[in-house]
Parts: sequence; C-alpha cells; structure tokens
Amino acid sequence: MTSIDSLEGRFKEAGALVVCRHDFKREGLVLSALIPANALTELAEGLKGDGYTLLDVSILHAKEGFLVTYHFDSFKEPGRLALRVLAQGDQPAVPSLAPIFDGAEWHEREGRDFYGVAFLGNPNPMPLILPEDFQGDPPLRKAPAALASITALGLFGKPQILDAAWWENLTNPVKDGD
Amino acid sequence: MSGFNFINPFGVREDPGSFVGDRYTDNFSRKARRDTIVLNLGPQHPSTHGVLRILVEMEGEYILRAEPVLGYLHRMHEKMAEVKTPWQFIPNMGRVDYLHPISWNWAYVGAVERLAGIEVPERAEYLRIISCELNRIASHLMWWGAFVMDLGGVTPILYAFEEREKINDILQIVTGSRLTLSYFRFGGVSTDIDDRFERLTREFIPYLRERLKMYKALVTDNIIFRRRLEGIGPMDLDLCQRYGATGPILRAAGLAYDTRRDIPYGLYDRFEFDIPCGPSNDSYGRYLLRLAEVGTSLDIIEQAIESIPDGPIKIAKAPKANYKLPAGETFFAVEGGRGQVGVHLVSDGGQCPYRIKLRAPGYSNLSLFAEAAKGTLLADAIAILGSLDLVIPEVDR
Amino acid sequence: MELSLLSFVQIIIACLLIIGLMVGNAVIMVYIERKAAGFIQRRPGPYEVGPRGTIQAICDAMKLLGKQLFIPGNVDWALYFLAPVLAFLPVLVLFLPIPFGKYLTTLQVDDGILLILAFAGLGVISNILAGWASNNKYGLLGAARAVAQSVAYEIPMIMALLAVVFLTGSLNLTAIVERQGTWPWEWNIAYQPLACFIYFVSLVGETNRAPFDLPEAESELTAGFHTEYSGMGFALFFLSEYANMLLVSFVCATFFLGGYRGPILDGFWWTFIKAYAVMCVIVWLRWTFPRVRFDQLLNINWKWLLPLSILNLWVTAIIIKFID
Repeated sequence: MTSIDSLEGRFKEAGALVVCRHDFKREGLVLSALIPANALTELAEGLKGDGYTLLDVSILHAKEGFLVTYHFDSFKEPGRLALRVLAQGDQPAVPSLAPIFDGAEWHEREGRDFYGVAFLGNPNPMPLILPEDFQGDPPLRKAPAALASITALGLFGKPQILDAAWWENLTNPVKDGD
Repeated sequence: MSGFNFINPFGVREDPGSFVGDRYTDNFSRKARRDTIVLNLGPQHPSTHGVLRILVEMEGEYILRAEPVLGYLHRMHEKMAEVKTPWQFIPNMGRVDYLHPISWNWAYVGAVERLAGIEVPERAEYLRIISCELNRIASHLMWWGAFVMDLGGVTPILYAFEEREKINDILQIVTGSRLTLSYFRFGGVSTDIDDRFERLTREFIPYLRERLKMYKALVTDNIIFRRRLEGIGPMDLDLCQRYGATGPILRAAGLAYDTRRDIPYGLYDRFEFDIPCGPSNDSYGRYLLRLAEVGTSLDIIEQAIESIPDGPIKIAKAPKANYKLPAGETFFAVEGGRGQVGVHLVSDGGQCPYRIKLRAPGYSNLSLFAEAAKGTLLADAIAILGSLDLVIPEVDR
Repeated sequence: MELSLLSFVQIIIACLLIIGLMVGNAVIMVYIERKAAGFIQRRPGPYEVGPRGTIQAICDAMKLLGKQLFIPGNVDWALYFLAPVLAFLPVLVLFLPIPFGKYLTTLQVDDGILLILAFAGLGVISNILAGWASNNKYGLLGAARAVAQSVAYEIPMIMALLAVVFLTGSLNLTAIVERQGTWPWEWNIAYQPLACFIYFVSLVGETNRAPFDLPEAESELTAGFHTEYSGMGFALFFLSEYANMLLVSFVCATFFLGGYRGPILDGFWWTFIKAYAVMCVIVWLRWTFPRVRFDQLLNINWKWLLPLSILNLWVTAIIIKFID
C-alpha cells in the first residue's frame, strides 16, 4: 500500500515545485505535483513499481509554455495522480516515458503532433495522428490573447508552493531584454 | 511498390537510398530484413474495422514486427471542443465511439457536472444507467459478430444484429437516434422513458439470456473456433500496466478492475453485480469475458428497471446554451465497452472549455498490439486484433 | 478408342452442353447459395430482382461481363490474362468421363478417374499464376497457400478414391456406378464410410471452400490470389470455382452415392440430385463454420486424413485379398 502521504513525500523529495491535494469528487484527482523535467523519469519509475499505470498524456498550451500532464492510476487501489511538467522555450522538450511505460510512446507522439512538444528519447518519433506529410506548425492557439496563464486556470486548487522563487517568476515573469 | 521485379517481387529495397511507399512504409521497411515481406494491412482491409492501418513485416506467414498507423479517421474532437460551448459539444460525444456513444456522453457530461458541482436527480441517474448498459450490450454484441467474422464465421454477425436492432429500437424511443446517441444533458437526460420503453426492456432481458445460450452452442463451443483462439495472444497484467490497457483486456488478465465499482460514479454502487474476471488471458478468455459482461449488464438493467424511482429527469436550473463553466480542472472516467473512458477538462471560466483531452481506451489497448502480435501467424494477429475490440473513430478521435 | 467423325461431333456437342451446364450451374448455385445463406442467417436473401430474386444471379453475371477490365500497374500481362482462362479450361476436360446416366457419358475412358485427377491438378497452376502475376503481396500469399493446400489435399483424396477402385477393380466410372446397387445400403458409402468421409473433407479443401477457404481468406488476405481481378477475370475464377465444386460433387455421387442408380427409375436425374445434395452440404458448411488456421489445415491433412486414408486403403486391400 502506497499512501498518498508517502507519495507526496516522494514528490517533494524529488524536487517538486508545487504539490497539491485535490478534491477527488470534483477534480477527479487525488494528488498532483508540478515537477522539474529532470525528475520525471525517476518518479515515473517509482510509480510503475507501485503498480501505477499511465492513463494518458494531456498537454495544455498556456501563456507560460506547455504544461504536460501525465495522469496515473493504480488498478489495485484507484486514486488518480497527475504529474505535471512545464516545457518552456522555443523548442519545448521533456524526457520520454516510453522506456518505462510502453504505452507512453503513442501519447507522446500525439502530443508532438498537436503541440510540437518534443519528447526526448521516444523510440519512434514519427507523426501518429496527423498526416505523415503534414507541413507547418502544430495546430496551436494562435492568438496570444486566447492563451490563459496556468496559474489562472485553477489547476492547483490549494497548492503547496515548494519553490517560491520559481513560482514568483512564473506568476510575474521578469522581462529581461525589454 | 514501383517496378515489378521478378528477382525481388516483395518490394524490399535493393538500394538503401531509395524511398518505398510513404514515410511510414519507408521508415518501417528500413529496419526490415532483406528476405522478409513488408505487408500493408489496411487502411482498407476487411479485418481492420474501419480505417486502421498496420504495417507488418512477415517471414512467410509469421509476423516479425508490426506497427499500427493511425490518423485516417481523426476528426479533431479535442480541438473542436475549444471553439464550442459545453452545450454545443454534446453531439460530438456521440460520434467519438459509434458503438458505445452513451459512455462518452456520460464521461463528458459527468466531467462538466463534476466541475460545475451539478447534482443529478435520482431518476435521471437510473435512466443513465439503463441506457448506458443497454448500449454496452449493443456494443458487445456488435463486437461479438465482427470478431467471429474475423475468424471466418460470417453468420453470427447477423444474429448479433438482430439483437442489436432490438436495443436500437428501445434506445430510439428516448434518444431519437440509432447510432450517434446524444441522450445526456447537463443535470439529467433529455427525455423520459415511456411505457413502451419499459415493456420492451423487460421483454428484452429474458430474450437475450435465451439467445446467449444459442450463441454458446453455435460459436463458443465450436471446435474450430476454440482451436483458433485458445492460447492465442496472451496479455498478462504486466503488459496491461505498461500500456495502460483497461476494460475486458485487463479483466481477462485476471484483475477485476471496473470503473463502475472501483471509482464509483452515478448510482452504480446501489446495484448488485459481479465483475467477471478471467478465466484466461488469451483471446478465448477475452471472448468469454465479454459474453459474461453482457450478463452483468442485463443484471444491472433488470435491477434498475424494477426499482426506478419517480421524479424529475433533469434539474430545474439546467445549464443552458450560454452556460459558462467555472474555472478549474477535472478528470472524469467511466467504464465504456472497451475500457476506461476518461475526459480531462480544463476551463478558464470562458465561453468554451480551455482544453479537453479525451482518454480513449481503444487507443491504449491498440498500442499493445505491436507487442502482442510479434511472432504470431497472420491469422492469429487478426484474431488478436479482433479480440481487442477496436473502434477506430474512438482511437483516432 | 478410335476417333471417328461421329464421335468428334459428339464430343463437340457434349462440350457445348458441359459449358452450358457449368454456366447454368453457376447461376443456379449462386441463387441456391445466397438463398441458403439467407435462410441460415435469418434474412430473405435476394428477392428484389425477378420473382423471388431468381434472376439476381443472371444480373450479377451481366454486371461482371459489363465491367471494365481493370489492370493494375506493373502486372505480368501474359500471365495475368492467362490465369483465369487456365482456371476455366481444364474444367471442360474434367466433365468428359463423368457418367451422368448409364449411356450419358461424353467419353467412355477406361482410366476415367485418372483423367479427372490429372486435370484437376492443373487448377492450382492458375491460382499460382494469378497470385504471382498480379504483383500483389496478398495475391502472392494466397497463391502460396493455394499450392500447399492443393498438393496436400489431393493425396488423401486419391487414396480415398483408390479404396473404391480396389473394391470395383476398375478405373472406369461407369463400371464403378454399375457395381453399386440401387438402394443406399448397396452404395459404396455403406462399404467405404471412412473413405467417403475423407473424400468429403478433402473435396472441401480441394475446392477452397469454407472452412478451408484459406487461399482467399477474406479477413486475412482480403481476397487472396484473385485480389487484383475484376470483371470477367474474376467471373472466370468464380465460374471455375463453382464448376470444380460441381465436378467433385459428381465424383462423390459416382463413387460413393451410387451415381445414376436410385431406388426407383434409374437415370441421370439421380446423379444430379445426389451431386446437388452434396453441394448443398458444402454450402451449409460454409455458412456455419469459422475458418481454420493454415497450420491447422495442414495438420488435419498430414496428421489425420493421410494416415487414415492409407490405413483404410490397406484394410480394404487385405479384406479383398483374403475374403473375396
């Protein structure tokens, strides 16, 4: 039995930036954590060892970048978790989970099709759903005004912000170069 | 294949720099051995049920490698959700999975209700369960016929259709349509049932139980059929975990995991029903399991139709077309005919949802095909593919 | 057998009649098959075209005749066109020694059954050519299956027929019928039930009918060796399939079911009734059973039918030697 507390502790140990307990009745999640990209593989491996499976990979295009949400669930004691990674920059990239959960390969390829997020280490980085000869940018929200900030979407409920400086930077980005 | 060559009729590249077929074929055959055939199953192939395409590398009739190619039926439902109000998006949900649309209705409407905190009247919950289970039976029957047809038995699909027509007749009374059902509304359902619906449903339950016996005599016990399936395509729990396979595949692997019971939604916890699991993790086990599930659904319908309470079928202040979802996020999952159907809904409080991610069970279930089909005969691969119960519109969304 | 002008004319007329029979048979069998399928599947079957859908098959044939001959790219032209013709032609010869009635035989050949078996083996060549020439991987796989299957099922078939030949002491089909009595218990099926069973299973395998229709297994190989054929090319394969079915049914009737002899009023009608009864059983099988897998198909043949047929032949030989 892996209690939610121990999982929360593990996320914190791995350097989670934000950890959040959810109201399962409303949000369908028990626990979520925003983690740095380099901690993802290790945490996923741990979850696999505890009998969790990867439900899907959902990508959110927000003002700050692409929020990649991995939903996990355990068949033995259902309790849905979400690991989130924020991929920023011109060429957003996160490590691939395909070596751990084979099913992640397709979810990641789909994400790459529609959001242009690169999953480094995906064994078969071909387009999956979009046509093979699809040219051009991924079908993203074009207008900057249409993009919401991830902090405004209410994703985090009552968050425990573990890296205050990072959060501060996310909510009020320091514009350098301006 | 360009240029027929008697020395090399299989179209295997002679010159490593040349380009074969489209990019998928090219990429796939780049890794192929020189003495093997690269065969393109689909997208127009009788056994791919729609427009699935699978590249296989074969040595004789043995499959060395397989790679499904998707996207021939992609309609961008997720993207459409971003420009439609929640209300406008309901009909889309009937079109994601044309065999079990009610489960998608429920997943989406349920997600919206959870986020908005809408409570559904009791009678509506009962109607939801009855319609969802009837639809699940129709979906399983359709699968049954198509699966036996994959194995070369052409007749059972017409028997399955006979039953399915009856279910369609019943569901047509309340939903108005026979294929892409859009029955659920936020805070209830669209139409109340009438006497005819009740009578037909009551008649249908014993009728189908009788017919299931005939199915067993005609197909399940057939020696050719059993020999084709027993021991073919074993899928154990580890495989299911790695690929996120749910539904009958997982239950046939021996784990009684059913969203209806493990993550209860609606009023499923009021009914007594057992979750069939096992008996074996091969194609035959999955076949038996699905037929057992039809029995489970019948049990649920029987209890629900007997104890359905009176009352409204929709809340008084049901969200209207201009309804705005509150900001927030939810993940709501229901048990569809093929596994766990999930909707990940994110709203920024605007007119339309900010992001909807549909978790299609068929997508995860199909992704394990490449591994399961490795080393099997072509005919076995078709049996494995059939036993996954794929609906391609759902896989591609 | 001397070939006088009269016998030549006789053969020509007979050939024309046989062609008529083959085409008529295809039309009738399509109707029977579709109606039987409809009955088994609880639907009406064809019923729009003509009274009770009777001319549906003729309309289908007209459609096939009128269709464009579509030739896929990069085919081997000569072989591609040769294959359907080659499928159809030997069937003509196959019907020559069949005794429809006591005096209703085109060609009285002493080695009648040998002639049939020899020419029946040609049919598979057309399947190979069709599969190979059409430059299609499904076709090729279908052709490979067709070869393995035909070669395999011919052996127990011959062994089963040989047992009857041993019993009769002649390869002449009329002689084989004459040896059998008028009542069912006097037919060869009563003396050689195992041979009859083996022959029946082999004939289903030999004619590529379900559950042994692997060369054209729809759910695996789309249409197998005739994937790339349309219009008349397909029609010829179709015609030859039904003609082959008719032939093996006639042979079955002749060898095991007493041919033209019946309880009352011997005559060619008995041959036809029996042959069509066999065909109806084949149709019934097709719409009831799922398809076997290819390795299972060969296992049935090499591990069961062949040893059984050899054993049967052996026992027959011993009994004839020591008892008769």
